[in-house]
Amino acid sequence: MKDRVIFHVDVNSAFLSWSAVHALQHGASVDFREIPSVVGGNQATRHGIVLAKSIPSKEYGIKTGEPIIQAKQKCPGLVVVPPDYYCYERCSRAMNEILREYTDKVQIFSIDESFLDMTDTLHLFGNDPVEVATKIKDRIKNELGFTVSIGISDRNKLLAKMASELKKPDAVSTIYHNEIQSKMWPLPIRDLYMVGRATEKKLISMGITTIGDLANMDIEFVKYKLKPAWGTMLWNFSNGIEESPVKPEGSIPYIKGIGNSTTIKFDITEKKDAYKVLLSLTEMVAMRLRSVKYCCSVVSIWIRTNELSGYSHQKKLYVPTDETMKIYKSACRLFDEAWQGEPIRALGIRVSDLCSNDFVQLSLFENYSEKKRKLDRLVDGLRIEYGSHSIYRSCFLHSGFPPVTGGISEENNFVMTSIL
Amino acid sequence: MKVYMKPVKMLSYTQENGIQIPLRFQLKTRDDELITVKIDRITEKNQEKLAGNKMYIYKCQSVINGVERIYELKLEASTMKWYLYKM
Repeated sequence: MKDRVIFHVDVNSAFLSWSAVHALQHGASVDFREIPSVVGGNQATRHGIVLAKSIPSKEYGIKTGEPIIQAKQKCPGLVVVPPDYYCYERCSRAMNEILREYTDKVQIFSIDESFLDMTDTLHLFGNDPVEVATKIKDRIKNELGFTVSIGISDRNKLLAKMASELKKPDAVSTIYHNEIQSKMWPLPIRDLYMVGRATEKKLISMGITTIGDLANMDIEFVKYKLKPAWGTMLWNFSNGIEESPVKPEGSIPYIKGIGNSTTIKFDITEKKDAYKVLLSLTEMVAMRLRSVKYCCSVVSIWIRTNELSGYSHQKKLYVPTDETMKIYKSACRLFDEAWQGEPIRALGIRVSDLCSNDFVQLSLFENYSEKKRKLDRLVDGLRIEYGSHSIYRSCFLHSGFPPVTGGISEENNFVMTSIL
Repeated sequence: MKVYMKPVKMLSYTQENGIQIPLRFQLKTRDDELITVKIDRITEKNQEKLAGNKMYIYKCQSVINGVERIYELKLEASTMKWYLYKM
């Protein structure tokens, strides 16, 4: 196999360090990265959870995702910084601009992570990948003011991603194919990409505690215990096997589904309010669906009650669609079937079973309107150009609900995916 | 020098190449008194892009209240706002 050179660039405590650099540039006297601090949502609108934390706040046991009230109990002097998504996107864009100077094959994996395929361009900047990665890391630190960890592999994106996790912050690490046994196998199984809480539990019950344990297990046994596709993928990952190319921007990403959800300012008790939230979420989901040139065949909704229990309901469509109103109508039908009348705290919509929107399958039982498709695209264009509030449905006027909900901001153009 | 990062009213001109040259600025003192400072000399001009936000930094000299002072002004490219950064 020809050796590739893959870099994975990961921003350290992304939201927090971006907020810290922005504040320092605007005259702040303290660096949020050096004190116990977190980036957190607004408690008044019930978005008060920890989105990112500084390294000193880790000493107090503060965890990402926990309520801010709880975090403040652990550390009374905790500084809570409000999120600034516009600033985060600007930081991410600036970082990717620098990365594109080193190769044209840059895959934006999320707002704070990118993959670089340096196979064909490494020789232009040096012979040693570690040396070039160190140059990139230092340049980002000096020019943009925040630190990144870079992982390098000679095989694939998976190893590069695992390598960037090895040492933080401001570090360059490698996992070459001949280092898998020494660097990756001793790590706990939870550190393997795609292993979450539920899978970890299952694997531990099988006696697998490290990545090496899984790698050395019989693949047939793993396939039998987990589902065949899932088992094969995890076993491959534990052995450093992964083949996907670095997909530069513009290529259609492989995604399984697109979803958005929101916690509402107050508990919803009336159906018409829930419909508005669903429409608002559908606007974002459908726009994202169209932007990646897909149609969906399955619509699902998710409801979280005021007692924090949740349930979902899904439906297969007869004909794949990317029309906002069709998805919305299905979501409303699902909501009517699923809702048991309890106050609602949060709602979510997800579309899946995606197929390309190159051609449209007409149906005898549904109206097809080219005009509606054109209208959807026109509205998308206006919103991308002038913001999500530039044009909206009259039902949102004075309703107190935003006309488009979800994503990370108006200019969000990041496709979040867990698939390499 | 102390960091102030205070927005200031600025009188400046634009060169043919688009570069902004500050001439004089006005700022409020602690007693709410408005003082106008004429920029006598620009000794250095730099650019920074921290957090992806472009700012131009001008190192300047002026005589303020009879004393020769060195200070830094910042121009934020995205908002075109001028700041007294350090003095």
